[in-house]
Amino acid sequence: MTRERNPWLTALAALTFVFLFAPIVVLIIFSFNVSRRNFVWLGFTLDWYPKLFANVQLLDALSVTLRVAVIAIIGATILGSLLGLGLARLRFRGSGAAETLILLPMITPEIIIGISLLIFFGQLFRQNGSIGQIGIAHITFCISYVAIIVRARALSLDPRLEEAARDLGASALGSFRHVTLPLIAPAIGAGAMLTFALSFDDLIITSFNAGPGSSTLPIYIYSSIKFGVTPQINAISTIIVAVVALALFVAWRLGAFRPDERRVVADDAT
Amino acid sequence: MSTDHDGSSLDLERILVRYLAENRLTRRQLLRRISIVGATAAVAPIIAACATGGASAAPSISTPVPAAPSSSDAGAAAETASPTATPEPTPQPTPEGELYVYNWTQYIGDTTVKDFQDKYGIKVTYDFFDTADTQLTKIRSDGKGGGYDVTYPASTDIPGLVRDGVVAALDLSMISNAKNLGTEWANPGYDPNNAHSMPYMWWTTGFVWDPDKIKEDLTDWTALWDERYKGHMSMLDDVREVFAAAAFRLGLSPNTTSDTDLDAMLQLLEQQKPLLRTYTANDIADFTGGQVWLTHAWSGDWGQMLSDKPKTKYVIPESGAVRGSDTMVVLSGAQHPVAANLWIDFNLDAKVSAANTNVTYYMGPNAAALPLIDPTISGDPRINPASATLDKLVELLELGPDLDKYTQRWNALKA
Amino acid sequence: MTTAAAAPTPRRPLRDRLSALIYVVPGVGWLALFFAVPLVIVLIVSFGTKDATGHVSLAHPGLQNYLRAGRPEYVPAFLNSLRYAGITTILSILIGYPIAYWISRYGGRRKILLLILVMLPFWTSYLIRTYAWMIILRDNGVLNGILQSVGLISDPIPFLNTDFSVILGMTYGFLPFAILPLYVSIDRMDDNLVQAARDLYASGRQAFLHVTLPITMPGIVAAALLTFIPAIGDYVTPDLLGGAQTTTIAKVVQVVFQSGRDWPYGSALGFLLMVLTLVGTFAALRTLRRETLGGG
Repeated sequence: MTRERNPWLTALAALTFVFLFAPIVVLIIFSFNVSRRNFVWLGFTLDWYPKLFANVQLLDALSVTLRVAVIAIIGATILGSLLGLGLARLRFRGSGAAETLILLPMITPEIIIGISLLIFFGQLFRQNGSIGQIGIAHITFCISYVAIIVRARALSLDPRLEEAARDLGASALGSFRHVTLPLIAPAIGAGAMLTFALSFDDLIITSFNAGPGSSTLPIYIYSSIKFGVTPQINAISTIIVAVVALALFVAWRLGAFRPDERRVVADDAT
Repeated sequence: MSTDHDGSSLDLERILVRYLAENRLTRRQLLRRISIVGATAAVAPIIAACATGGASAAPSISTPVPAAPSSSDAGAAAETASPTATPEPTPQPTPEGELYVYNWTQYIGDTTVKDFQDKYGIKVTYDFFDTADTQLTKIRSDGKGGGYDVTYPASTDIPGLVRDGVVAALDLSMISNAKNLGTEWANPGYDPNNAHSMPYMWWTTGFVWDPDKIKEDLTDWTALWDERYKGHMSMLDDVREVFAAAAFRLGLSPNTTSDTDLDAMLQLLEQQKPLLRTYTANDIADFTGGQVWLTHAWSGDWGQMLSDKPKTKYVIPESGAVRGSDTMVVLSGAQHPVAANLWIDFNLDAKVSAANTNVTYYMGPNAAALPLIDPTISGDPRINPASATLDKLVELLELGPDLDKYTQRWNALKA
Repeated sequence: MTTAAAAPTPRRPLRDRLSALIYVVPGVGWLALFFAVPLVIVLIVSFGTKDATGHVSLAHPGLQNYLRAGRPEYVPAFLNSLRYAGITTILSILIGYPIAYWISRYGGRRKILLLILVMLPFWTSYLIRTYAWMIILRDNGVLNGILQSVGLISDPIPFLNTDFSVILGMTYGFLPFAILPLYVSIDRMDDNLVQAARDLYASGRQAFLHVTLPITMPGIVAAALLTFIPAIGDYVTPDLLGGAQTTTIAKVVQVVFQSGRDWPYGSALGFLLMVLTLVGTFAALRTLRRETLGGG
């Protein structure tokens, strides 16, 4: 590489990292705060971590959140990837309409999606909200993100690759499995990660579709902000960050992101 | 997909019968309701009417349902009918194995749920809402409680919830701890004879201030319009409470539905808005965070602020203030009504009620609990005012469709 | 450089087209059932009225809710939404572009690790991150504490509950939606193009303006859309970090739906917000597609 490095750009990048991590550092520090309401620093304690594991409501909420995320990832990744691939290959008359249908869930205000599913499930199917219902809602708003990422990736592939495989005698399924799938796998992975992040964080749509026994972590947190969030929530967030960071680091060290570093990450939406 | 509600015809018929009995609906009225799309409360009776041909829908039937067998499915039938029927000598019914409770977070004693589970062997699933609006949206979504067994609405909402059949009549035979209630709570105006609700906590609404920042002694609502504290004041994010504050300043009733009155209140609030930091749903956090010096607050919230800011002062304004209460109800769609009634009874136990108060700093209606409450709470006239003070306070009443007059102006104010 | 529009589209055999259709059907079917149908129900509701008991009535359908929505008192809320979303979008790109560029060009073998690091904060709950900002920004918070201790200010600056805190919270929250597509488009760019421009004596700035920027424009468009769309419908951030003067239209929709329990009116307002977003999005897409892809 012969490119000269711009020190200003590096300084800017460093500042951006400070901006990104400032709240995370504060969050971690305040998980050791004595104050139960956690707005004023009253002193250092480790108490909240053991207490966290005795807080059944909080652990239940975490478990609900994770179960919903798994449903959302499985559903949205499968449906969204197929949809993205299909749209990339297909240039039929209705494809404009199908593409608009994909964009619409992203443009619809969350509260409208939430209310519409509440009416839909409540009035048509007499459902009161459940993990399954939240899962369906999350799949619905995550499909589009996955489809767009996969479609962009599939469009950038050379269609001749698959054709070549076919010419060499591979079956349709075989060429899909051995040629197309590995090539779009990074996009599918990115879609799954984005789905997890969206599902894990969603409050508005979830709160309309939650029912007995299906309060998620965001609902729990939002509901406690009125009284002040206990450091237990900081503690659980700290643990989540640590686990995610560790998992990603290990994956990186093991080379999970290696084979085609340039294209591992999400493709763009155009 | 959840299948926790299977809408068995038994269930629907029960709802229809009670619905008719309680609302004295005629078949003609029912038919008129069929034309209304989305009338959640009407849907169940309609389906039932179709299923049963309406033959059993005579309002005179008072559903003498026998006490519950233990299976949770039939347990739904264990609820007794309207409380006006002659009391039946019911043997204590067997409680179901589960209970679904819907409440604010941290609005209950630290060990109440666990103690209940230990005592009755009933598994409690505890869900929470962030605002009363979310709560009402949810329990009204199917017109019968959204699948929960017990929830905690404000007393103001009780008449509407009863009218629309969202809450069930209590089985008073199972709530023997109702005897612990103070006399003023035995027959509250919003719910005669506590037929549908038991009081849970009560409060006054005034304001708190930080004496480090504001040296003078504040006594009345005018403080919240004081230019000197611009940018450091908050009002509660609650339409009725905010308009009530304006009403007291103007000497009007906080339950007024006169457009002239409301316009005057709105005008006063428009003057106040530029001075405010927030319309807050997090009054405790905002105040202890230091950016707010003076905030509209519920008395229990003040108690909670004291733990971080011990010098905080609270006043019940002299020109008038609101007193309010939250209740416990059994929802009409409850799958576990026996456990639900037991839960309410349990929370009216003197010890449990006192434990709840000691955590939340809200006073309960429980006379028997009084000696067990932390004296710094029960002895404070601002959290537990003398009855002479209380008598001067106003309860917010349910306004029915006229509530729109408030919410429209509220939206205009905030936008 | 192979962009979508420029990709060759050879004629496909019918069998392939059918198989592609099979890919599309489950997803479209799902969205039709769980998105389109519920949305149509809400659309129908938006023409109804609320009867005396608070239930939806379609006895007298009409446009009354849409007419009410145009009332002048909601103009500030609409403007707030547009302003916050607009500024958030611009800031996200201004912050996201340099960091994406830096990672892509200077990251070397650690590129992916750096990208993971950038995304790491977004694996914790959005609410808890917002709450952390409240701790930082409040009057006796971390930031004011630092400023006061170094003697820059004597009285705390009111950061929280202002336009500043709302925009900061939104920018922070939606930044990953900007960084990812920016990174991808920058990383995909062929280095030799810039090098060629430099060889032709273009200055660094000229090379950036005339080569890098146009080539990465699709990424910028994607970043803008992915930031603007969630930002304009957001009410949680203004709720937590905002104040009395920062009401957004999404918040009005929520209050109408929940406090007012006026579903027809809330639906109408929600649809207006949606149409506004839709029109803005497609207008932006069309303009930028024409500009960047030269009609290709």
